[in-house]
Amino acid sequence: MNVELTELTRKFGHTRAVSGVTLEAGPGVFGLLGPNGAGKTSLLRMMATVLPPTSGTLRLLGRDPGGYGPRREIRRRLGYLPQNLGYYPGFTVVDFVEYFALLKDMPPGQVPRAVATAIEQVGLGDKARAKLRTLSGGMLRRAGIAQAIVNQPELLLLDEPTAGLDPEQRVAFRALLREFGQRATVIVSTHLVEDVAAACTEVTLMDSGRIVFHGTPDELIARGQGHGVGDAPLERGYSAVLAAARS
Amino acid sequence: MIGRDDLTSGYHDRGPAPGDVDLDRVWLGVAAQVWCRQPGPAERAAGRLLRSPGLARALVTTPSLLLGWVIATVVILLAGLGFTLSTGTPWVALLAPAVAAAGIAYAYGSGIDPAWELSQSMAVSDRMVLLVRALAVFGLNAALGLAASAASGAAAAVTFGWLVPMTAMCALALAAATVTRSPNVGVAAGSAGWVIAILAGQAAEGRFTAAITDSFFVLPYLAFAACCAAVVLFATRIPRGTS
Repeated sequence: MNVELTELTRKFGHTRAVSGVTLEAGPGVFGLLGPNGAGKTSLLRMMATVLPPTSGTLRLLGRDPGGYGPRREIRRRLGYLPQNLGYYPGFTVVDFVEYFALLKDMPPGQVPRAVATAIEQVGLGDKARAKLRTLSGGMLRRAGIAQAIVNQPELLLLDEPTAGLDPEQRVAFRALLREFGQRATVIVSTHLVEDVAAACTEVTLMDSGRIVFHGTPDELIARGQGHGVGDAPLERGYSAVLAAARS
Repeated sequence: MIGRDDLTSGYHDRGPAPGDVDLDRVWLGVAAQVWCRQPGPAERAAGRLLRSPGLARALVTTPSLLLGWVIATVVILLAGLGFTLSTGTPWVALLAPAVAAAGIAYAYGSGIDPAWELSQSMAVSDRMVLLVRALAVFGLNAALGLAASAASGAAAAVTFGWLVPMTAMCALALAAATVTRSPNVGVAAGSAGWVIAILAGQAAEGRFTAAITDSFFVLPYLAFAACCAAVVLFATRIPRGTS
């Protein structure tokens, strides 16, 4: 298992952002769904080793991120796209991806080709030498995805990756997710259920810091039959599970 | 700029591509060579010295720090030089610790680095990046100070007179900024600490330049800096074990 979470909890003051989450994930694409404030981003940040848990145990890629050596090894094999991608406006797309490739400790000889591959994979080849401050929101998002995948991560964590992408780009991105999911654990936090339906093999639905559903997209759809609100079957499953959890 | 499409269309103009030629692979090889930035001499030297190309790139690019560093240096030199010439008081030495402390406070954290969260998830530790950058700035300041001392015929003690208190004030500002997660608090703490040090020198010896000229203060400064460094390390740790 690439991700093993046991009773993971994160508090901010008296607020429990994540409350006793237990989850295991091997290779595949996992959708993390939930309303705003459900705890998706906090959970993803803990898995990205950016935020330490308050309690519970966390093992990533078979290692405990609490120790310096294992944490460094995890980070070498990790790809992370934060919800709010900060960037250096004066960097070009290549500078940006290359900078983070080097900070991921990639062997310098492999970096140029890996950078070119990642940039082409997100369709930014024609903007490779453009400064980040000149790019649109969708292009910046794709630059962020490029830095996340540049090291061919074994654990890829993406927080709202399709925000700002146009429909054509989203279709291409879902194909990329499926490709990565063949060999890596990809966890995608989103509230766009169509992304989950198209790309994910498993879905986890969070509400108020807890997991209220874990299963396949088909199983979530089944929960919505005859219940729930929404235009698409998955949306009806989503709303039915949330309603049941809150009742 | 030549792109993948230009490569493939140019190829097809001369007839169909042979079956064993993977144009995507060819293009990636070309792009890797055309796009990649060759490290300059400083980055290559830093890479050899630090044994980390990532740290070397972080050191030479300093994307979030460069502007602050340049502004601080200009402020120190121009203001200090002007006041020193007009009053005869060593204003450069008196100003440097406070300005450097402000710079360090803003060097580390979400307040200044737009890619802070991303940097925190990298294999090359963000603390190591900060340490290397701070060492580079201090090393350069020390070298410039020693060169200026040699040129003016003054003793090297003049340089160390402000370098050591600067270290202490920077450590204080960094500790306050990391503990409170606020660069403004770090600046306030560093500035307040330096004012207290100057006033303490004034109270003890009747002159406010004692804080930078009296060798008695060297060990307390260094001990204080070590304590602050320990606080920084503690505040930025990730707890081992999670249960």
